[in-house]
Amino acid sequence: MRYHITHTTHYQYAAPVGRCYNLAHTAPRDTERQTCLHSRIHLKPDAGFSNERLDYFGNRVFYFAIPDSHRELTITAESELLMHPQPTALALDFGTSCQEALQQMRYSRLPDVLLAREYLLNSPMIRPFEALRAYAQSSFSPERPLLAAVRELSARIYQDFKYDPGFTNLTTPLEQVLEHKRGVCQDFAHLAIACLRALGYPARYVSGYLETLPPPGQPKMIGADASHAWFAVYSPGEGWFEFDPTNNQIPAGQHIVTAWGRDYSDVTPLSGVIFGGGDSHQLSVGVTVARLSESRTS
Amino acid sequence: MKSTLHNEAFAPDGSLNPGWRHILGSLQQLGAAALLERDQKAKRILRDDGATYNVYSGNTSAGRVWELDLVPAVITSDDWSNIEAGLLERAELFNLILKDCYGPRELVRSGVLPPELLFAHRGFLRACQGISLPGEHQLIIHAVDMVRGPNGAFTVLTDRTQAPSGAGYALENRTVMSRVLPSLFRDSHVQRLAHFFQRLRIKLASLAPHQDEPRVVVLTPGAYNETFFEHAFLANYLGYPLVQSGDLMVNNGFVWMKSLEGLTRVDVILRRTDDWYCDPLELKGDSQLGIPGILEVARLGRVAIANPMGAGVLENPALLKYLPQISRQLLGREPRLASVRTYWCGEANDLDFVLAHLPELVIKAIYRGGEFRTQMGAELTRDQLTALARMINAEPARFVAQEMLQASSMPVLLSGEFAARPAVLRSFAVASDSGYAVMPGGLTRTGREAGARVITNQTGSLNKDTWVVARAAPTERAASAAADVRPLAAAHMGSLPSRVVENLFWFGRYAERAEAVLRLLRAVFVLLDGADVLTTNCRHTLLRAVSHVTTCYPGFCSDKAELLANPEDELLDVILDGARFGSLRSSLDAMLVCAEETKELMSSDTLRIINDIRDGITQLETSMHAGLAAAPEEALDPLVTTLLALSGLLHESMIRGVGWRFLQLGRRLERALQTTTLVNSLLGSALPDEDEAVLLQTMLLTLEVLITYRRRYRGRLEVVHGLELVLIDTSNPRSLLFQLEQLQKLVDELPPIGITSRELLGEQRAILDALTRLRLSRLVDLAAVDAQRQRNTLLTTLNEQRTLLQALGSLLSDKYFDHRAGPQQLVPASREGE
Repeated sequence: MRYHITHTTHYQYAAPVGRCYNLAHTAPRDTERQTCLHSRIHLKPDAGFSNERLDYFGNRVFYFAIPDSHRELTITAESELLMHPQPTALALDFGTSCQEALQQMRYSRLPDVLLAREYLLNSPMIRPFEALRAYAQSSFSPERPLLAAVRELSARIYQDFKYDPGFTNLTTPLEQVLEHKRGVCQDFAHLAIACLRALGYPARYVSGYLETLPPPGQPKMIGADASHAWFAVYSPGEGWFEFDPTNNQIPAGQHIVTAWGRDYSDVTPLSGVIFGGGDSHQLSVGVTVARLSESRTS
Repeated sequence: MKSTLHNEAFAPDGSLNPGWRHILGSLQQLGAAALLERDQKAKRILRDDGATYNVYSGNTSAGRVWELDLVPAVITSDDWSNIEAGLLERAELFNLILKDCYGPRELVRSGVLPPELLFAHRGFLRACQGISLPGEHQLIIHAVDMVRGPNGAFTVLTDRTQAPSGAGYALENRTVMSRVLPSLFRDSHVQRLAHFFQRLRIKLASLAPHQDEPRVVVLTPGAYNETFFEHAFLANYLGYPLVQSGDLMVNNGFVWMKSLEGLTRVDVILRRTDDWYCDPLELKGDSQLGIPGILEVARLGRVAIANPMGAGVLENPALLKYLPQISRQLLGREPRLASVRTYWCGEANDLDFVLAHLPELVIKAIYRGGEFRTQMGAELTRDQLTALARMINAEPARFVAQEMLQASSMPVLLSGEFAARPAVLRSFAVASDSGYAVMPGGLTRTGREAGARVITNQTGSLNKDTWVVARAAPTERAASAAADVRPLAAAHMGSLPSRVVENLFWFGRYAERAEAVLRLLRAVFVLLDGADVLTTNCRHTLLRAVSHVTTCYPGFCSDKAELLANPEDELLDVILDGARFGSLRSSLDAMLVCAEETKELMSSDTLRIINDIRDGITQLETSMHAGLAAAPEEALDPLVTTLLALSGLLHESMIRGVGWRFLQLGRRLERALQTTTLVNSLLGSALPDEDEAVLLQTMLLTLEVLITYRRRYRGRLEVVHGLELVLIDTSNPRSLLFQLEQLQKLVDELPPIGITSRELLGEQRAILDALTRLRLSRLVDLAAVDAQRQRNTLLTTLNEQRTLLQALGSLLSDKYFDHRAGPQQLVPASREGE
């Protein structure tokens, strides 16, 4: 299946911005599930200099600087990508048990396991705390397959928490999210990651998109009109597995990955430093993910 | 000099070790009096050079003067060649670790380094993945702190890789020692330091992305950094411009320095700002010390930063625990140079050991920049130990513990007496094509107390020049001590950062403003306390002039009878209250701040006078502490003299470059403005002849022309003559017209910016306008009094002059100085799921 993604960000500043420097994580990376056919960014006003590279996590990062004074900035990222057919439902009820996973994380000398330990550590936006561990604990009995336990955790977050964009903002601590059981997909992903790390399982943050209009007969998913976020857990010997607690789903054909990292701060869709601009700005973001007919070529 | 501790100077049998024998003997021979005199001389040189180490505290205006011990630390060259081999190997090893951390991370993959040790360290900057400097080495400068044990072997305590300080201080120590003890230095055949810095220069140049005339700059966090003296000193010695983050910008994929001529491309940055602060776009978002986008340029290889960004990861003391294994893996052998035994609490066994032995250990955080300060278990109370254990248990991986090493002692000279103090040596290695080059010796610091365990400049220590001495005369003779410390290259006088030029301009203005205030106050004090009783009108006009000249409004202009009757408090206030803009103190403080920012351009004579001004402020505060004494004008005299000396020196000994021109522009502009204010406030309203004579005399005295006036006009005090002398007589270097003519000359000589045309520039117009109007004005009109007893023409003419001069100031400032506000983070950025 082919998809066309348009991600538009518009800034309007209170006062002219003399210069700005920005980083965008908006081009989808290639994964087992997807291949990015092309991706480009249009800027208005034009960039003086721009460059794309791969970051520490292997994500595509687009750097650009605008040297001329401006009051508005529009960043339009357009990508076209191919989703590969997925094997039918993953069998999560077999495989590495929670206990085995913990043992391997601790004692295995396999390079992949050693490197995955990076995702057990605190990260800029995620510091696990006892209440999270207590919340998650019940799903993780020693003999249970890890992935089955994580699926349950993801489902519990879906059931226990209310999707409420008005409640949290970028800096709302997880303590409050847990206490009030409200948040958005970013909070739920962070919360699940924090739970897993608190218990000793490596987990990372995945940022991406959902198809805007679902196929006939399927409900529209939450988070489809903006960039979306979910998480992945590492099972030693088995690899990384994604879960979407906001929609209680196992990401497959409709979850398009842009980037992953330790948390949101590693993969912020757009970050920047401006000179001038006054003390306020207006921001609007629009995302459209459309299915292209199979015959159409880009 | 004996003590229970090991003393490096002595052999076990109590005899002096070779190397020390000659030096200690010579020092003792000099005798107490001569040593004291040399010590005084050393202190004077250090102070005049502005050698300070700023200790972080509330007070920013003064640093601690660098303290140098006259007894050098002595190491024989045989001994040194062993140490050097160990240091060279260690630098290579750390270079390989750095490459691995930001490259394949084999040390983690293969299980040699626990992953958490790398991944949880705040110095591991993921954004620095992919930076690669040209050449074999990524680690350009490696510094090591080490102590000697009882067996004579050195053990490393710490590695410094972020932005190692101390090499410049070592050079300053050498400068002073070679001047204070020239013959001892010459006879001791001390290995030179200059080679090390030459290697550094060559290495830095070789890092440039393009090789023809690469531009290298030294990046400092600013004048209040603790080692700012060193930044300025090194920049001068190496011949590089000293820049702050605001002097640099990223544009078009390159890094540029903002200079008067516009933007100049920068190829190499010798970095003294910690990497974490350097780029608000990718690192510390709210950093005011950063250059947004610089990391992208560094990753692209279009600017080389040394040490590279991310190098702070090597300062993790937990690495020391694994160094033998790392060395076996990377070099195939054990390291030659031992490190202090280190336990990392992230390992369960180590944690148990550490908690059981806390009182015997030194506890450090794995990251140096955090809040946790190194603690000596032995110095903690039981409660403190419990608290420390709790802290470690909460986040074990954040802490290491190290064996407490007792550093061996060496002789020091304390108030004329020899004593023994423990010593730490900081050594420096710089990468070169084939390997590393080590500075012979380094920076030795000794503890305050005989048993001192912590020896740092933050806590206070005595510094020593370190002499690596040959037993016989070396084959390569050091030509002279002076040659060792002569700057390696002429500074780039042509392209100063705009910030420096702006600070010179304001330095000139504040110096002149302070002088004007001082002179007026001096004259006013004399009159207020004088034998003749002043009329109320006259007295009030004088006091109001003080408020006008200082701009400390409302002050005496409020016309409060109480204030005018008892002016002492307000007068004291406009002298001493630094928080009041325009007060003498505030102008002097502002001037000193500008001096700090331009320190690298000042000669040592100038720095000495600036120190005198600092002393003058302190003295003034002491002498006026209890209120105005009798003859308070005398307390002001020394400062007037010092400011005059400063002005003379800047005129005589500063190169007539762009910097000098801006300094003079500042002075002339301010002097002209001050003159207009003074004349208007004293003579703007006409008073009876007797009063007018007093005011005229004040004006002439303040402007330093009273004697000229008396000689020329034989004591007949007439306004028209006074105005001639202070406004339009160009043989008087303090007259207004003289300032305008000088300003015109200076403006004409400024470097052109942008497209040049035959049309006059804005600043040329402003000054020509002012000059013409003043030249066309008639003295009789200026002196004329109208029906309201006002000198209206005088007031109007001088106010016009003020407007034009202020316009000139703004034009210069807009054109040549940088006014961009600091960066801000674009937050809140878009949030996912909304």
